[in-house]
Amino acid sequence: MAPHPTTDWNQLQDRFYRKQEIYAMLWKQLDLSKFMIAGAPYGGPIAMIRDDKKVILLQKQQPVKPTIYLYTSAGKLMEQLQWDKGRIVAMGWSESEKLVVVLEDGTIRLYDINGEYTQLSLVKEAKEYSVIDCQIWGTGLVALTGNFKLIVLTNFEEPRPHLMADPGLNEPPHSWTVIPPQYTLSRHVEVLLATGSTILTVDTKESQDQLLQQGPFTKMAVSPNGKFLALFTSDGKLWVVSTDFQKNLSEFATKSQVPPQQLIWCGTDSVVLYWDKIVLMVGPFGDYIKYSYDDAIYLIPEIDGVRVISSDKCEFLQKVPNVTEEIFKIGSTAPAAMLFDALDHFERRSPKADENIRSIRAELAEAVDACTEAAGHEFSQYWQRNLLKAAAFGKAFLESYNADNFVDMCQTLRVLNAVRYYEIGIPITYTQYTRLTPDVLIDRLINRHHHLLALRICEFLKMRTDRVLIHWACAKIKKSTDDEETICHMIVEKLINKPGLSYAEIANTAYKVGQPKLATRLLDYEPRAADQVPLLMSMQEDELALIKAIESGDTDLVYLVMLHLKRKLPLPEFFRIINNKPMACNLFEVYCKQQDLKLLADFYYQDDRCVESANITILESYKQKDLNERTNKLKIALKSYQDDKEHAFEAKAVDENIRLLQVQAQFEKEMNQQLVGLPLNETVHKCITTNNPNKANKLKSDFKIPDKRFWWIKLKALVEMRDWPELERLSKSKKSPIGYEPFVEECIKAIQHKEAIKYITKCDPAVRPGLFIKIGDFKAAGQEALALKDIQLLREIQSKCTDQIIAQELDAYIAQLSSK
Amino acid sequence: MSHLGNTHSSLNVNSLRDLARKELTNVLDSVRGKKCLVLDPNISGPLSLIAGFSLLKEHGVEKVHYLQQGPLETELKSLIYICRPQLNYMKYIAEHIAHHQKDVVSNYEYNLFFVPRRTMICERVLEEAGITIGEYHLDLIPFEDDLLSLELDNTFKELYLDGDYTSIYYAARALMKLQTKFGLIPRVIGKGDCAKHLADMLLRMRKEVAVDDPSSTLSVSQNVDSLIILDRSVDLISPLCTQLTYEGLIDEVFGIRASHVEVDSAIVGPASQKSAPAAATSTSNAASTTSQPSTPAKKKKIPLNSSDRLFVQLRDMNFAVVGGVLNRVARRINENYEERHQAKTVMQIREFINKLGGLQSEHQSLRTHTGIAEEIMAYTVTPEFNKALEVQQNLVAGIEINLQNEHIEEMINRQVPILQVLRLLCLLSLVNGGLKQKSLEFFKKEILQTYGFEHLQTLLNLERLNMFVKQGSASSKFNYVRKHLQLIVDEVDEQSPQDISYVYSGYAPLSVRLIQCVTKGGLTPISNPVGANAAANPIGTGGAAKGIVGWKGHEEALKMLPGKTFDEVQKLDDGAIHSKKFAQGQQPRVTLIFFLGGCTYTEISAIRFMAQQDEGQREYVIATTQIVNGNSLLSSVMQKMDNLGHSAGGNF
Repeated sequence: MAPHPTTDWNQLQDRFYRKQEIYAMLWKQLDLSKFMIAGAPYGGPIAMIRDDKKVILLQKQQPVKPTIYLYTSAGKLMEQLQWDKGRIVAMGWSESEKLVVVLEDGTIRLYDINGEYTQLSLVKEAKEYSVIDCQIWGTGLVALTGNFKLIVLTNFEEPRPHLMADPGLNEPPHSWTVIPPQYTLSRHVEVLLATGSTILTVDTKESQDQLLQQGPFTKMAVSPNGKFLALFTSDGKLWVVSTDFQKNLSEFATKSQVPPQQLIWCGTDSVVLYWDKIVLMVGPFGDYIKYSYDDAIYLIPEIDGVRVISSDKCEFLQKVPNVTEEIFKIGSTAPAAMLFDALDHFERRSPKADENIRSIRAELAEAVDACTEAAGHEFSQYWQRNLLKAAAFGKAFLESYNADNFVDMCQTLRVLNAVRYYEIGIPITYTQYTRLTPDVLIDRLINRHHHLLALRICEFLKMRTDRVLIHWACAKIKKSTDDEETICHMIVEKLINKPGLSYAEIANTAYKVGQPKLATRLLDYEPRAADQVPLLMSMQEDELALIKAIESGDTDLVYLVMLHLKRKLPLPEFFRIINNKPMACNLFEVYCKQQDLKLLADFYYQDDRCVESANITILESYKQKDLNERTNKLKIALKSYQDDKEHAFEAKAVDENIRLLQVQAQFEKEMNQQLVGLPLNETVHKCITTNNPNKANKLKSDFKIPDKRFWWIKLKALVEMRDWPELERLSKSKKSPIGYEPFVEECIKAIQHKEAIKYITKCDPAVRPGLFIKIGDFKAAGQEALALKDIQLLREIQSKCTDQIIAQELDAYIAQLSSK
Repeated sequence: MSHLGNTHSSLNVNSLRDLARKELTNVLDSVRGKKCLVLDPNISGPLSLIAGFSLLKEHGVEKVHYLQQGPLETELKSLIYICRPQLNYMKYIAEHIAHHQKDVVSNYEYNLFFVPRRTMICERVLEEAGITIGEYHLDLIPFEDDLLSLELDNTFKELYLDGDYTSIYYAARALMKLQTKFGLIPRVIGKGDCAKHLADMLLRMRKEVAVDDPSSTLSVSQNVDSLIILDRSVDLISPLCTQLTYEGLIDEVFGIRASHVEVDSAIVGPASQKSAPAAATSTSNAASTTSQPSTPAKKKKIPLNSSDRLFVQLRDMNFAVVGGVLNRVARRINENYEERHQAKTVMQIREFINKLGGLQSEHQSLRTHTGIAEEIMAYTVTPEFNKALEVQQNLVAGIEINLQNEHIEEMINRQVPILQVLRLLCLLSLVNGGLKQKSLEFFKKEILQTYGFEHLQTLLNLERLNMFVKQGSASSKFNYVRKHLQLIVDEVDEQSPQDISYVYSGYAPLSVRLIQCVTKGGLTPISNPVGANAAANPIGTGGAAKGIVGWKGHEEALKMLPGKTFDEVQKLDDGAIHSKKFAQGQQPRVTLIFFLGGCTYTEISAIRFMAQQDEGQREYVIATTQIVNGNSLLSSVMQKMDNLGHSAGGNF
């Protein structure tokens, strides 16, 4: 049986703190005092490098060259990096678990857990005056330069370092710290600098003196929620204020003039100070707990406690969670404690079990919840099990209890226990896990190459396994020395029954490690054509990229590849690639029509597409202001059309167009009329209205205008001129090819009823009545209808007629017809 | 004639509108403070269907401008552009920025949102302009409960003339979005090469969706059992015919854009502010704040949608009966007004007053539609209109084809607008499978000489589209299709139609007949002496034929029409589930009809008519790339003459 949970509890005023041993370190007795250390939160790894400021006994087995060691929390060596760059000013961990190493010259390196790095650099200022100190938080950092300026870099992913407001210091600050942007009012990072007896708050815009007298402050720390600031004064006082300096929270005299080596927060309500081998935890009301160690230790702050790393073990110091305290506190009568006790009785077959349950009947549901939650807070599997058992026991007495929480907790604990296992070495607490989310935990596992565990957890939690598999495949490719056939086979075999899995990233990795053939093979498995394209382009597989882009149906992607190719390749080569791909050609044509007609002409020319060439040339001809230029263009087009038997008509039409333009130009001079560019009909029309009938006739014969149309044009033109005699002459010149109805209609439109009558009589007798009606001559209409012997029509006319006298006449006609 | 969605719609199309509205507010809120909205003129219409001006105002929009050439003057420093990814727009924006930078204190903030998505080709133009780029995923815009449109303006030209398949990609994405919302559509049936392309892309995207969004595994739709994709190129005849329904004729005469029509304010009488539906106020507000110079002739924008109850009644009717209905409504309203004289007690008076508001808005709507109908009437009685209609009806019915040639020739001689001539010539070519070489060349020459040589390109374009071509060796395939699908129905009762052919007064749109084939396996029983046994026909509507039939029995006719035919089944990995779900469902099933390349208002009316016939069994939801008519279809492929410095074409 595990020791009772309360054995490692310590009381601090009204609350309890506990320090649990989690791991015995796998490393061999390290003297932590000789190292510069950075520990990542959320049970993350520990990075250390020999501190060059400290004397060390040179031992045989230690390499002379400085090395950064990366350990798990259980002290298992994950990676060691030969350090050959300059002096390290600071180390820290980013949110995505990358080790941030800041050098004196302002260079920043971000190492992942496998030792691969990216490098950034700060502004020029840093290089000139060198960086003397640096504060790092989850997503960014602030560097302090030799001339006491501050440089901020807020996002490692998009590094845009810039100077902050000048604090105006002439000497290094006694101590300093930053409040990360997510905790400040302005949502921008703020820096707190201790100088003289006061503190300056600096952001990008201004530096503000807080006008304090209690200083100088030799150490300071911001609480994990950014609300409080712990300050250590030179006379040994620990002073806690709110970060806006409005509230004084507590004061505690340590009687030590020497500032602590580490001053950090344990959760948000107590502060931990560390001097050589002594740990002092100070509560909000001036109470304290003291822990002593035999060797140097290192403290890593967590959101809900402190990880204590010593030469032989890893411990976790935290405030005992409320539910846990409720259950295990000696003499507790809280419902959860009663329930836990009931289980004990039940297992010993004691009737008190029933009594207990009965006594907390009303709060049983809360008791079950509490036991479930308390199980989450335990590191010991023995107590986890017992607490869950108690919850399950209580649950049985409840009729409608939603067991989701309970099931979730069981699942979560399985995951937590798995990752806490010392070989994995992530001592994450339940609180940290819920903050971190399972997704991020999976990322961390795959970064550590625990693919199998990550996969199992994904499957267990019913999450997508894609990224685990993809990461595994990428790692495999990087590590493997087998030939491409074997690797490809091995990867595909594992991933083949995962439909929809994206191979693009895997292929990209293969390409980057110099296995282009493998990359091409893997890319074939990528289900999304669109995702294949960028890699193919970077692999110089131009034509394949274009084919895949076309396959994707995404026209923009096709453009992307085409424009890339056009820039890269000589024009003939580019044309060759797109020629046999109709969709690419079509899009290219559309693009060129808007952007570059010249290029399009080249394209048609190389492909012998003379008809399209001609079309383009004609389009261009319209843009020419000058007539000669225009006809020249048209002549070129004419030539192209003539080359193609199928387009004899077009050739003829263009030829006609050229001739028309020439005639128009000639007439324009003679008639002093704007003609060029008008359609033929209008040109003829203009000739007539300007009294140039001969010219009109010439056009008719030159361009073989059919009689019918010519008559129509003449008719309209003459009516427009109101030249009625000429119109009559026209009607009599020969038998009208268009009949005489159009004459009537046009006259009616011009409201010339008298003229219209002239032509009605020339029309077919059958239509005459209707035409007479149109001009309102009901009498004539009636007469015509009588001639046609159409009673129906007569009646219709009569009904429309308004004139009494005529109506009577119509009556007579009707009578006349009906009598027969 | 109410349309299907109004009373009960199994597919909640409105949720799409809510989604679009929410995203719009996100777009607007992404920029803090007061801002100036610069809109693609082609988007402002559709956008007004999503959100009114008051909503824009709530989210800090102080002013709305149209995106056009020339400098943009505004005091507001935050600009939001919303436009389609078109290169010319990028040039305008670049001009705006360049213009602003001439100022010494230019601290403008530019935000550009592409609809429906950003494209690299456009971003490149603005590469270094310092502009924040985002996306506004506005794709299918709900016009009505049964009508969605992508509002892509030029798809017909792009797809069939240019071979630019961008719109297919957009359509596929929109349909995928629809499927993620309403479930996987188990059957995809269609006709036409581009339609096939779209179907293939849909099937492929479905595989990819698993990669994009790991959490979603598409489940089979509860109520949509089929998607019919029709390619405009399959049926070019219907849009070329003059639409004879009320809404169709409004479109032919005035042109409807984004379900609004613009008419002279004189036509519709003095507006009473109260009666104007909400959408109208919003759009007119938006318009009044734009920098667009207001046109001198007073135009009024009238919303045409189902919030106007009278319009709902009229829209799908044959125009021939609209007059009668208006008359009846006028009488009824008058009677209702008269009721005030009967109101004696205070109670009755109050009752009347309560009704008064509704009555007044009804009155205003009546006035509007009477005005519009009169205007249309004036147009339909002209000899030109009737001549063209006669030619057109003879052509589709296959009567005295050669005689029609002469009529068309005369129309050219009369110099009627070229669009009208081309509509008939294309019809002539389509129903005959082309023209004889001699008459083809004759007409080409007539057109070039009459309307200008520039139209050589227009003619080449039409040839490329197979709309105006030389006759091939085979005899007209259309004759067979016409007979097999009973496209011509001689007896049409416009008052109480029995068949979809009422929308063209005797011609049943081929496209909708094809849909009838798929959903019912045959045609609706029509008052046709030959089809007397139609009621007993097992594949008619009478029976409980609930499933989708598919193309069976019509293979021969389909072969006569251009493009591939397809019928795909989308299965889930665990195919068992969906059959079970469908078995229990008592609610009517929904067929989604997608028109690639646009559809006409008459086709929509015809489908609504089908829906009415199938009430309780099947519902139809129409989605289209845009709404077209013969004019818009043809003018998109005509050689544009704007840059030629003179006006070409016939002058009347």
